[in-house]
Amino acid sequence: MLKNRLITVLTFNDGVLFRTRNFIPDYRYTLNFVDAWSIDEIVVLDITRFGQGSKDHFFTVVSDFARNCFVPLAAGGGVRTINDFKRLLRFGADKIIINSEALRRPEFIREAAMQFGSQCVVVSIDARRMPSGDYEVFSEFGNKATGLDVVTWARKAQASGAGEIMLTSIDRDGTLEGYDNYLNRIVSEAIDIPVLVSGGVGKWQDFVDGFKLGKAQAVCTTNIYHFTETSIRSAKQFLAHSGIDVRV
Amino acid sequence: MKVAIVDYGLGNLRSVSGAVSKLGYLPFETHDKEEILSADKLILPGVGAFGDGMKNLHSLGLIECLNQSVLEKKTPILGICLGSQLMAKISYEFGKHEGLGWINASVKKLNSGTNLRIPHVGWNGIVLIKEDPLFTGILSNELFYFVHSFHVCCEEKQAIVAECEYGIQFTAAFHKDNIFGTQFHPEKSQSIGLKLLNNFLSLC
Repeated sequence: MLKNRLITVLTFNDGVLFRTRNFIPDYRYTLNFVDAWSIDEIVVLDITRFGQGSKDHFFTVVSDFARNCFVPLAAGGGVRTINDFKRLLRFGADKIIINSEALRRPEFIREAAMQFGSQCVVVSIDARRMPSGDYEVFSEFGNKATGLDVVTWARKAQASGAGEIMLTSIDRDGTLEGYDNYLNRIVSEAIDIPVLVSGGVGKWQDFVDGFKLGKAQAVCTTNIYHFTETSIRSAKQFLAHSGIDVRV
Repeated sequence: MKVAIVDYGLGNLRSVSGAVSKLGYLPFETHDKEEILSADKLILPGVGAFGDGMKNLHSLGLIECLNQSVLEKKTPILGICLGSQLMAKISYEFGKHEGLGWINASVKKLNSGTNLRIPHVGWNGIVLIKEDPLFTGILSNELFYFVHSFHVCCEEKQAIVAECEYGIQFTAAFHKDNIFGTQFHPEKSQSIGLKLLNNFLSLC
């Protein structure tokens, strides 16, 4: 049986693992926090703004992870060209995450899939719940409204050759209130490729709900406290006890 | 021991060489014919499309050199994911492509006929069909990391070493003479994957 996946998402600013707590940046975290043996997959995202750091620092992060973690590694943040794909793959990434460029130029998904295979192309979708109850897709770190409906865009990404969809609720991000499982379910039920859900995890039960209510194939956590020391193992034991088939 | 990782422009070379280094070997990534011919062990990695893989091997002039190493010198070779698929006679990924033809097999789409999602991504258990040096100390139901939409269908059933179930039973690992292939990624399968790689490097 294919296991349900638990994925750690790490964000980097100019090569430094970066989190905010109560909106105050905190740079104390080191990679030693990550229990690289229990996690199923690692996502590293570069959130360095243009002109505010060197891309090389992120490449160093990617190659450090690739050398030391023997699990799949997905990398993204600011990926705009086939050359960006090649560079990240050369530094040891297995999958590449794209977002804003796919929205600007949807044919980018197909170009990448044709060259590297669909399994290499993860389309990240950031969605916000509108007052109407519909979900709209936002680009540029959630700053720019696109006018696109989330289900329409997820279907288009799949049709263009995406291998997986990484879905983030902007509203829930960092709130610890749990995933937006209505959003997760409508996207997951509309497409046939795996859906990785993200945004809002505060407790282990939220992972369970992501699978059961959100119909996700993988649950992601960006909360730094969720991958210290034995946390991943505890989370997986909790999932297993709740009837979710995971790799323990 | 010289461990050559064949670099044909597709795939996760860094992760494969990282895993091999972790095991205490000094791998080198190469598309140099002399280096490939003089290697003691070969690894053919690969992520991507079958057609591109064969095209790159052709344009680097590596087909003849690989045939010589593998079929004449009998250098042990491990194909990983696309690398294992390239060892088949033919693939039906985006058309019809001729492979290296070392294994009497074809590469077909995972057509599970159910509502299972394709690509097959994640950790899945394998079932050992027979004993094999590659799986020394590894039991049935151990989990390996898979990420693929196509799989190898072996005509020579005796070559099948392990299977995996995802809608259908498909070949997860095969072995014929000095030729080994895994559909899963040992270099991405944590300690059990490292064990398999170590078996290939020390026992095969």
